[in-house]
Amino acid sequence: MNASMSSLPPVALAPAPPGDLAALIAPVPPLTPACTVQQAGERFLEPAVAGLLSLPIVERGRVLGCVTRHELMMRVYMQPYGRELHARRPVTALMNAAPLVIAVDSAIEAAGQLIGARIQSPITEDFVVTDAAGDYVGMGVVLDVLRALEARVGEHTRELESAYRRLKASQNQLIQSEKLASLGQLVAGLAHEINTPLGYVQNNVEMVRNHLPAAAETLAAYAGVLDAAGGDDATAAQSAQRLDDALAAFDPALCGDLASLLDDTLHGVHQIADLVASLKDYSRIDQARSENVDLHGLIESALRIGGHLLRRRDVQVRRQFGEIAPVTCAPAQINQVLLNLIGNAAQAIEHDRGIIAIRTQASGGYAMIAVQDNGKGIPPDVLPRIFEPFFTTKPVGQGTGLGLSICQQIVQAHGGRIAATSTPGVGTRFVVALPVAGRSGARA
Amino acid sequence: MSKPCLLLVDDEERILRSLAMLFRAHYDVVATTDGVEALKVVRSRPVHVVVSDQRMPAITGVDLLRQIRDHSPRTMRILLTGYADLAAVEASVNDGEIFRFLEKPWDALKLQDAVAQAADIAHAEFAEPIRVAPPPEAIVAARVLVLDEDPSTAMLVRGLLPPSCAITIATTVEAALARLGEAEHAVILAELKHGSDDVIGALKLLKQANPHTLAIACSSLRDGRLLIDLINQGQVFRFLPKPLGRELLRRALTAALDRHAQLAHDPQRARRHAVEAPREVSLPSRVMDYFRRIRENARQKAAS
Repeated sequence: MNASMSSLPPVALAPAPPGDLAALIAPVPPLTPACTVQQAGERFLEPAVAGLLSLPIVERGRVLGCVTRHELMMRVYMQPYGRELHARRPVTALMNAAPLVIAVDSAIEAAGQLIGARIQSPITEDFVVTDAAGDYVGMGVVLDVLRALEARVGEHTRELESAYRRLKASQNQLIQSEKLASLGQLVAGLAHEINTPLGYVQNNVEMVRNHLPAAAETLAAYAGVLDAAGGDDATAAQSAQRLDDALAAFDPALCGDLASLLDDTLHGVHQIADLVASLKDYSRIDQARSENVDLHGLIESALRIGGHLLRRRDVQVRRQFGEIAPVTCAPAQINQVLLNLIGNAAQAIEHDRGIIAIRTQASGGYAMIAVQDNGKGIPPDVLPRIFEPFFTTKPVGQGTGLGLSICQQIVQAHGGRIAATSTPGVGTRFVVALPVAGRSGARA
Repeated sequence: MSKPCLLLVDDEERILRSLAMLFRAHYDVVATTDGVEALKVVRSRPVHVVVSDQRMPAITGVDLLRQIRDHSPRTMRILLTGYADLAAVEASVNDGEIFRFLEKPWDALKLQDAVAQAADIAHAEFAEPIRVAPPPEAIVAARVLVLDEDPSTAMLVRGLLPPSCAITIATTVEAALARLGEAEHAVILAELKHGSDDVIGALKLLKQANPHTLAIACSSLRDGRLLIDLINQGQVFRFLPKPLGRELLRRALTAALDRHAQLAHDPQRARRHAVEAPREVSLPSRVMDYFRRIRENARQKAAS
């Protein structure tokens, strides 16, 4: 019997996928009902069943019950005269007639649940495994199941961790693509902002340059007339003719026009320089925080970069700047927040009397910036959701729904807060509060 | 001959001053920052050419040019913009039917050339009486050529046109040109993206060879730069994004057939579709022969 048992490879009884209960079964030859307590005790001493807490009693495939090592010890071997009293009795007298029976096709998790519900501490029993017909297949060891479960939990944890990492990476990617999308809009706007002054600057310079030789010739002709003043008539007539020709090509009255073209040109060059400077502020990608950042400067910079958004509907900007101390922050990030809020405000305005009011004030160690528009407002059912990632009311393809969520992340990373109030048809107000001393200061 | 009238519209006054200075020697220049004012000018006097900015506070350039087209169809329309976003370029073709799409900062000579050419065309048109609309039966017997490797495009066109319209199907530029050389076609509907052929180059040359054939370009390619070239060098009549929408295609075909009938009725109007010389087109010489044939056929037809 022993030989046949040890020659039976356990896998032969495990057609189910590895990791399931079938793989854990020990195909232990069962005891028969005719077996005595003495014989049962001897079976427990065999090395092949050394790892089992209980042995099954089976008659024609049917499981009658289980006898445990623990029961034999407590009731027979450790009792005075226990061996004399019980040794020759049938083992059924000591068996548990309702052992834990688990079907062979059960998943490890289901087996674990049954074990958890049925087996008590200290663990004194293993469980019986039966096939679909309810016939005995083998024994399962509770500890094996627990170990398998532990391995499975570890596997799940690793899967969860890698899923979390993937999610995190794709979130970063989305944030990056939101940045790229807003960068795309920014570039479009800036191209227009810069190409307009560049258009007239280039044209004006060309025109002035084209007129310059004619102007120089006119001056030279005047000089010739002066030189010829004391000379003979022929020379005088010649220089007068030269002057006439020069004046036909260049009217000195043009000088006034050319001067104003150059004034425009200077204005345009300054405008381009301002835009480029704002862009440099905006694109400082360094995450490093700077101390003593002038929020009003950041607001002006965002207004310049977002200028095309405002001009699209001729929106007026009203500044009501209070006294606020310089703030410790990452200027590029705060710029992104401000540009986003100003852009949203401009988009919310669908009429021709648009006003965006930007107010600043200091309050209890915080610098507050309020951006208020008189646009269409946000419905009350939408308002609580606006900071949710991917929440958007814009048509597909026109917004990732990440803009405000990223704003909130940035502001919170600064130890600040962002909030919105809105009345449909009247307008929306966003308030950003940033701790003047920066994040660590706010904590201290 | 009095100076032609040039209307300049831009929300930046310095642009207006600069342009006015560039053009005032040869044109009667009217400049305004206000779209409503621009429409008033167009209604009150003949305006030969309008040059408008695209991004303006109250109205987009495309919108303004479309309204100007309705009020004064003979005025030639040029868009001058600081940034060519795709939507604006598409709308300038489909809604604005503009003569040129030019960008800031502009090349003064190129701008002057475009305005001068436009002014000549408009001047000739203002000198002629307005002709009444052509009889509708001209549309019914028109030929339409579909150049697309995808057979479903031709099926869609077949379903949209009356049975009296002949539809020619070609899958290569060469085959298309051979058919165009055999018979005058009113409209060519061409997919720009072709495995090996330069469809864009062919459309440009086709417009030079026979300005009467109207091109509807369609593509899943959404490239503003390419489209600007097709406006300036190919006078493409409509651009439709793929997949093709039934209703948009129907409207584009109807408008193109209408326009072709008008051109047949009043051949001088084909001047309006004059094109810039294309930069370079690489087509085999055999294909260039087809263009010659198409050009000759068009000339003979115009002469008869």
